[in-house]
Amino acid sequence: MESFIFAMFNGVLYGMLLFLLASGLTLIFSMMGVLNFAHASFFMLGAYFAYQISEGLNFWAALIVAPVIVGMVGAGIERWGLRPVHRYGHVAELLFTFGVAYVIEELVQMIWGRVPVPYEIPDAMSGALFTWQGFDYSIYRVFMLVVSVAIFVALFALLTYTRIGLIIRAAVSDPIHVATLGHDIPRIFMWTFGFGCALAGVAGVVGGNVLGTEPAMAIQLGPIVFVVIVIGGLGSLGGALVAALIIGIVTRLAIFYDYGVGSLVLALGLEIDTAGMLRDFTRITTAQVAPVLPYLMLVLMLIFKPRGLFGTRDV
Amino acid sequence: MALIKLVRTFAVMFPVVVVAFSARGADTVKLGLIEPFSGPIAAVGRDTLEIFEFFANEVNQRGGVLGGRHIEIVPLDNAMNAEKTTQQLRKVIDDDIRFVSQGVGSNHALNIIKFLQRHNRRNPDQAILYLNHSAVTTSFTNELCSFWHFRFDANVDMKVAALVTQLGRDSSVQKLYMLNQNYAYGQAFQAAAQQMLAERAPGIELVGDELIVPFGKVLDFTPYIAKIKAAGADTVLTGNWGPDLVRFVKAASEANLDASFYTIYAGIPSSVAGIGAKDGIATRLKQVTEMHENDPLYDQQPAELLDTYDRWRQQTGKSIYSERMRWTIEFFAAALDKAGSDDPALVAAAMEGMTMDGPAGPLVMRGEDHQIIFPMVISTMAEDLERPYIYEGDNYEVAFATDGWIMSDAIELPTSCEMKRP
Repeated sequence: MESFIFAMFNGVLYGMLLFLLASGLTLIFSMMGVLNFAHASFFMLGAYFAYQISEGLNFWAALIVAPVIVGMVGAGIERWGLRPVHRYGHVAELLFTFGVAYVIEELVQMIWGRVPVPYEIPDAMSGALFTWQGFDYSIYRVFMLVVSVAIFVALFALLTYTRIGLIIRAAVSDPIHVATLGHDIPRIFMWTFGFGCALAGVAGVVGGNVLGTEPAMAIQLGPIVFVVIVIGGLGSLGGALVAALIIGIVTRLAIFYDYGVGSLVLALGLEIDTAGMLRDFTRITTAQVAPVLPYLMLVLMLIFKPRGLFGTRDV
Repeated sequence: MALIKLVRTFAVMFPVVVVAFSARGADTVKLGLIEPFSGPIAAVGRDTLEIFEFFANEVNQRGGVLGGRHIEIVPLDNAMNAEKTTQQLRKVIDDDIRFVSQGVGSNHALNIIKFLQRHNRRNPDQAILYLNHSAVTTSFTNELCSFWHFRFDANVDMKVAALVTQLGRDSSVQKLYMLNQNYAYGQAFQAAAQQMLAERAPGIELVGDELIVPFGKVLDFTPYIAKIKAAGADTVLTGNWGPDLVRFVKAASEANLDASFYTIYAGIPSSVAGIGAKDGIATRLKQVTEMHENDPLYDQQPAELLDTYDRWRQQTGKSIYSERMRWTIEFFAAALDKAGSDDPALVAAAMEGMTMDGPAGPLVMRGEDHQIIFPMVISTMAEDLERPYIYEGDNYEVAFATDGWIMSDAIELPTSCEMKRP
């Protein structure tokens, strides 16, 4: 039982990191309807800016400044890139962000080189906070959890209870009326996009030193972020949170309870052929397939519930 | 610093373009280098090209080959796409280049071996010789062996043999955990290690043996670290490279896992840069290589070679990492001269059984399977060494210190190769 709770706790830690990665993407999608393929690239920019700033100043300065810069870059891209493309529809927007992702990757390689940069966890937070089952949890792990929870609470409150959130939500469902009331819709969209990118920047600052800061990180992280928001339901903040936690917990459980396909078949009381054609298949264990499980969940979700867990829009 | 890198990126890119289109003098012996010069791992290809051009130039400065002809390196970009490797081989044929080299990615190497096997059988007058500087799949010098392929790097089995031999010597190793990438290379590493542990280090208990989804799919290694800790392992043996190694080691360090990490590829520039001094030292990170700059034998090498190394560091701002690439060029040059011809079949025949002096013992190109045999060294990441690791002008403050050499007799493995000679 204790190892089950241990796996669950690890799953929550990992799931909250995934949520942090996906929160900006789901915000942009739910408010603007733009599926931002370059989201993971803004995450990467956040990590690189954080590295550069923490070299000159320190981590805390990076935590504040880097997301602001990423947000400004995002807002700029919306203003001078995405907005003109907007009138050609969602496919054009999607292709535009797809291109942006490649441009950002190439720029990052030109400026910081093609090998990883040594962006480290700050010394003050690398010590162990507590030890459980012989496993040391660093202060930084818990700090990541705190940041993720804080972002969720803040986002939720912002959209639900503030006037800005009200205007943003109204601008999505009824842009003409909101514009008639004197609100500048393109401007609202620009800042929403910038804010979503800034959230990716926060995730970059907090996650870049754990995951490794290198030019390929955007390509590696892109797919899993989309899995989170599709399973959660496109545009649902709560859905993204639940989906991230489910993915985190399921993959952790699969690694801890390392069952083989062969042993599962035996447990069902069936005969098994361990030398024939299915030889490789029977040797597969759940730990080996753990990173692929989210994609299996994505496929099943699209078949049986295309709108995701809490989605209000079709994929 | 960032600006310097920007300038350097362009500086490195331009020679690729310029050399590719420079006039093809009839007096050069061309060696096509098929590597990724674009795409996410272009850094590896460009590093390789820089080493090849530098050491080819050294040979040329010494007077060249075949009585004054120069070796010309022709870069051919495969963008890490196996299909493009085949396209570049067609270009090699069209441009009448008779020697190619490649090493990044065993799937590309396999493409080249199979392609040339067929091409050379059908076109014996236009045969092409392949010098493999780094692709390590063991079968290339076993059941897939070819007269037209020579390997200048130890294969996976030999590297594992060296690592396991050192594990057997290390009395602190009681409980070992293995973790590898679930694809051809990682599985080969796993199988070789299982067999050699039983033979060479029977006292070590294997408390875990895991395969993971490869190529950066695993973002968070903490559950694996928790399993390693739960298994009570004091040592980890892994063939992982790239982000699968960097994240693994960083997660272990963050969780204060008290275990030594035995690896193959900890010392490549992107690993050293990605892992960093703190995490590398905390995990007592080890690598197996043909040589490293802080070994006691370094200073005992010939004076002109040490001069060459110094010039390399000054000119490129990089440490010496891949001796095997220098060996590839040196063997190539020596075989050309020995054959007295640039006919690939004669050069291949000349290369069989050829030997050279290495830092700790002879380098022998075994004739029966075209696999080079040489002593290897295990070293651990450490601070305050004479030559800290540098890459593109950045000083990483760490380097590797020798644990021990594994002589050729412990590394040389029997081959199942039945070579068909033309």
